[in-house]
Amino acid sequence: MNLERVSNEEKLGLCRKYYLGGFAFLPFLWLVNVVWFFQEAFIKPAYTEQLQIKAYVKWSGLGLAIWVAVLTTWITIYQHYRAQWGEVGDYLSFTIPLGIP
Amino acid sequence: MTTSDSEEDSYDERSALMSSETPPVPSYQPEQSDPDPSAQGPVLRRAKSSERGPGPEPELDEEEELTLKYGAKHVIMLFIPVTLCMVVVVATIKSIGFYTEKTNQRLIYTPFSEDEVSVGRRLLNSFLNSIVMISVIVVMTIFLVMLYKYRCYKFIHGWLILSSLMLLFWFSYLYLGELFKNYNLAMDFPTVGVLIWNFGAVGMICIHWKGPLQLQQAYLIIISALMALVFIKYLPEWSTWVILGAISIYDLVAVLSPKGPLRMLVETAQERNEPIFPALIYSSGMAWMVGMANPAEGERQQSVSGPLSLSLYIFGWCLSLYLMRVSPSLGGVKLGLGDFIFYSVLVGKAAATGGDWNTTLACFVAILIGLCLTLLLLAIFKKALPALPISIAFGLVFYFSTDYLVQPFMDNLATNQYYI
Repeated sequence: MNLERVSNEEKLGLCRKYYLGGFAFLPFLWLVNVVWFFQEAFIKPAYTEQLQIKAYVKWSGLGLAIWVAVLTTWITIYQHYRAQWGEVGDYLSFTIPLGIP
Repeated sequence: MTTSDSEEDSYDERSALMSSETPPVPSYQPEQSDPDPSAQGPVLRRAKSSERGPGPEPELDEEEELTLKYGAKHVIMLFIPVTLCMVVVVATIKSIGFYTEKTNQRLIYTPFSEDEVSVGRRLLNSFLNSIVMISVIVVMTIFLVMLYKYRCYKFIHGWLILSSLMLLFWFSYLYLGELFKNYNLAMDFPTVGVLIWNFGAVGMICIHWKGPLQLQQAYLIIISALMALVFIKYLPEWSTWVILGAISIYDLVAVLSPKGPLRMLVETAQERNEPIFPALIYSSGMAWMVGMANPAEGERQQSVSGPLSLSLYIFGWCLSLYLMRVSPSLGGVKLGLGDFIFYSVLVGKAAATGGDWNTTLACFVAILIGLCLTLLLLAIFKKALPALPISIAFGLVFYFSTDYLVQPFMDNLATNQYYI
């Protein structure tokens, strides 16, 4: 859909729904929210709903940053210690690389 | 075609493939006034067309300009997604061995084995396979048209959602697994869970509800690529080529002949003045019963991605047939997802089994040329046209001629160091 052709209230509603949806373990949704509404929130000349949209975009960005940090930490830990964890490591693994670690 | 305002339900994947142009008319028409809606052809029941109302009688040069509407710009706008889809499929085929591994599993829709000794027998089996496949498709399409005619929208919706769910979650999960195995990477379940959940959920939101246009297009391309990969893996070789040919003929008949199911679908939608497809592209669910009752031969452990889920999927794809049309619309051209899938199947199969890159590139070029021609015809006739026949015909011709004529020729030239 094209944001140009949507009314401001609808834009706000959409931004809000994307923000709320991201709480269901969906950082990707927050990312989409930030990227999609970035121009609306920060670059376009002001309009009534813009303040709220800005708030949603900012909070989505924050949530996204937190998720990225958590995921990166977890992935680093996992990749580093997987071999040492023995059975637990295997249990957690979706794919196990062949060969000697 | 802009999809936002006039879409009550954003299920229209087709329209998502449309140009993201905001002004509905391309800019190379200098003095563009309201385009004459009657020149848009019978398709496209967007609410927008009612806004414009009956236009003035087009003068001769406006008529010519309107013909030019579906010109180079639209061709290029369609080239990009088609190319992307094919690139994804070919890249996967070439790098991940899984999709080209020989498997004894077959789809229930291609029950005849191709492990025959004699050429004649094998050919016969592939023709029989394609007959089975096409009959399944015909039945499903008619079923779909009936459902639509009798307004069983809820059923269609549910079916559609189920099948896109399966595609977005299940097949991408398998794909990811193969990808990691191929590059020998370790991956843990929590991360995979998060990745697939995000990919799938955002995909569902974008396709079935509202989302940024480019993301929607990207998802549709990915979905088509996944489907094409499934076909490439599970359709036996000769059957694939025969099926491609048969489907093109079916497409031609279904869209153009007065009693064709797809044409009836279009006309019914126009009569009702509603978007043709309320979220109807893929389906699953029903086929599951059929698949379970008659498991394909040679089922093995690998049945994780086996006949079960594939039979589930195949019905979905059957429904995508309605999409196998190129149709004009306000400000753009629409191309069906079924077309993407079959183009990619052709190029992917060429990459998998053909000689080398020559064949693949030749097929790719052939399909693009076919697409150009189809769009040209669209500009001339201004009504819904089947997008498969020309491209697939060219593709098949190019594949066989390159594989059997050009390839050995080039090899000989190279061996003898003779440059032309």
